[in-house]
Amino acid sequence: MTKRHLILLATLCAVLVAVAIPFIPKTVQQAGVIPPATVFRHAEETSSVEKPCSNEHPDWRQAQVIDGVTIEAAPSCEPDNPYDIAVAVKGTNNVSMATLMQTDLAQDALTMGDDVDHDGDPDIIHIKLEVVELNGSSPDGDFLINTYAIAPGIQPGLWVYAPKSRGMAVKNFNSVVAAPMLRAPSPTIRVEQGDKVYITLENTHYLPHTIHLHGVDHPWMTAGQDNDGVEEHPVFPGKSHTYEIQPRHAGTMLYHCHVQTAQHFMMGLNGLFVVEENRPNNWVQTFNIGAGQVRHPSIAVKKAYTQEYDLFYQSIDKKLARIIQDAIDPRLIAQRMSRDYNMTESFENYFLLNGHSFPYTLRDGMLIVEDNENVKLRIANVQRSSVALHFHGHKATITAYDGVDQTEGLQITRDVFDIAPAQRLDLSLKTQNNGLNSYGPGLWMFHDHVATGTTTDGMEPGGNMAILAYKDLLDEQGMPKMHDELLNEVFSKDYYAKKQALWGQGDFAHLLGEAGRIAPDYLRIIAFGLTAGLVIGLLACIAVIYKKKQPQ
Amino acid sequence: MNLQKIIMIAGLMLGLIEPVFAGMHHDHMLMDEKGMIMNANTDKLPRDCEKMSENVDITIRAGQKHALKFNGKMYAFDKQQWDVKPCAKINITFINDDQIRHQLMIHGLPGYLYPEGMFHLELYGAGELQASLIMPGQKKTYLVHCELPQHAEKGMKAQLKVAGGDGDLPSIPGISTPVKADSYPVDWSGATVAILLLCVLAGIAAAFFALKIK
Repeated sequence: MTKRHLILLATLCAVLVAVAIPFIPKTVQQAGVIPPATVFRHAEETSSVEKPCSNEHPDWRQAQVIDGVTIEAAPSCEPDNPYDIAVAVKGTNNVSMATLMQTDLAQDALTMGDDVDHDGDPDIIHIKLEVVELNGSSPDGDFLINTYAIAPGIQPGLWVYAPKSRGMAVKNFNSVVAAPMLRAPSPTIRVEQGDKVYITLENTHYLPHTIHLHGVDHPWMTAGQDNDGVEEHPVFPGKSHTYEIQPRHAGTMLYHCHVQTAQHFMMGLNGLFVVEENRPNNWVQTFNIGAGQVRHPSIAVKKAYTQEYDLFYQSIDKKLARIIQDAIDPRLIAQRMSRDYNMTESFENYFLLNGHSFPYTLRDGMLIVEDNENVKLRIANVQRSSVALHFHGHKATITAYDGVDQTEGLQITRDVFDIAPAQRLDLSLKTQNNGLNSYGPGLWMFHDHVATGTTTDGMEPGGNMAILAYKDLLDEQGMPKMHDELLNEVFSKDYYAKKQALWGQGDFAHLLGEAGRIAPDYLRIIAFGLTAGLVIGLLACIAVIYKKKQPQ
Repeated sequence: MNLQKIIMIAGLMLGLIEPVFAGMHHDHMLMDEKGMIMNANTDKLPRDCEKMSENVDITIRAGQKHALKFNGKMYAFDKQQWDVKPCAKINITFINDDQIRHQLMIHGLPGYLYPEGMFHLELYGAGELQASLIMPGQKKTYLVHCELPQHAEKGMKAQLKVAGGDGDLPSIPGISTPVKADSYPVDWSGATVAILLLCVLAGIAAAFFALKIK
């Protein structure tokens, strides 16, 4: 074979390449006259769909009396365990063993001592809190443990304070789901003004933490020991520390961890701390697990209001939350959280009201009212960003800022409430149908009006979206009536995994459902494949011939 | 109306529950303000045992300081493995060296003696308690752990082998590898790089020599 032949072959290759180029198969292609048809993926066909309300404890909803503690009705889908409330009011040492056994509380979780001022309620309160990791990792396999979903299929790593519990930290011995008391947010803690309160942090976690009583009247030190819960006095794993207070001022305050504060705060180590006004015979509900409705309000609140709710707004950066799921060694977690992670380059991806994002907020985050009520709302924002809380159909009145009452003349009535990080607002929400306080009964949404706040990692409706519901518009399980279609769509893991078309069902499914794909053009693929193969073959031949021609 | 119902339920429950000390006690459980014991068994023989083979006293300490001997752990028991004969009666003294709650749970036991297959000791803080159980006769490895969130995950995990056991469980500190292990950076230095380069050169040289000889 001569040099001429070689040149000819090479030219042929070049020509073939030129021929092949227009035939390169495409992954995306312009449609012709008729674009691809709509495809239908019905969520009901997959296992990703959940029942909107599992209705596990219908008997917990009714008003009841346990161990002499009156517990108000809670018509929502997931009412608080009334036995938890009875123990939270009377203490683990003042209830029957049968009541205590209906809870997961340890026998020393909440002990109440003497009635020092002889006004009919205990004035010495011992509270014990543990630190719990939710959705953490396990060396035993690729799964999360003590799981807690904030929305369908969404399980970000979280840390919470929890009342000291006993027994298994999972639902049962075959499950990885966290026991019911282990949830976000950290419980609201309520004490009475003037009570001597001992709060013991038993650090069951693997990193150091503290409790800082933000806004609560407390001495800086007690008996030469840190009492402010700041960074330089961490409580290390396996250790405990007791903070002592005797708050002189009542109001809505906070507690939070002050070690590596930016990160530990965003991981969920914060909660509402409410100091209730001192009144005779005032047994306050020390823990409100998961915040929300207060089913045993204090005397002062009961006198002025028909109901009370704790609303806790929290956000999560999914990158921060992942750190505890990607490593097991505490040293690696400490490094990645404190040194590698950079809060100044962070985002908020999940927005929670009382530990849940929509649609789970419908299970335990609704405000359930009737006509002519006056509802007390204690609202805290522990997000990294500000909240602009908006109630549809209502204008509420600010009665206190950061636990300090506003005199009546200074109280402001409005429909968007700006709450900076760590700030608290007390609102009076009236349901008088007068065109100002309320526009009448409805299933009125209430949510953060900052655009990100109503999304779950960008997917709407999500985030802290919830409903201010008039009772007649709820079914017997506490779920909104007339919304089956929406509920069936959003109680789905696929929806929040962004796998499901938004209007993929109903009359407009054809027009707004998921556009299908273009069928592959097999002629084109075959033409390209043959040409490309020919070029590769020819090149190989040239290489072999060239090598043979070389003198050995 | 509701009150009556509740009193009735409470009454029924109390029927099952006899108070002991400041705490409570029924068939499977003993609880007070220091901790609790569930499913202790001092005398009931498992079905595959004709008689007790041995009476062993084991002291198990739990605490953060026992994790010091393992890299990358936070909580541990003082030992990670115990060996007993088939049908052994084990008298456990469980000591908590921390100021927080710890548990000692043994899983996989026969359900007819130990409800849910579980033996469970719990101390709400520093202190100790004693309880016994009788192991079945079969050759088996039982999981022993503290079930508080992240305690077993961070090292408080061990195994109890009857008749030598049927293998090791995963991620027991110092004994077995985890199913899902952490990754750490490899400590590359100048010398490591030099060795790699030297070996590459040596390989090339070897090829040259081989060809030349041919």
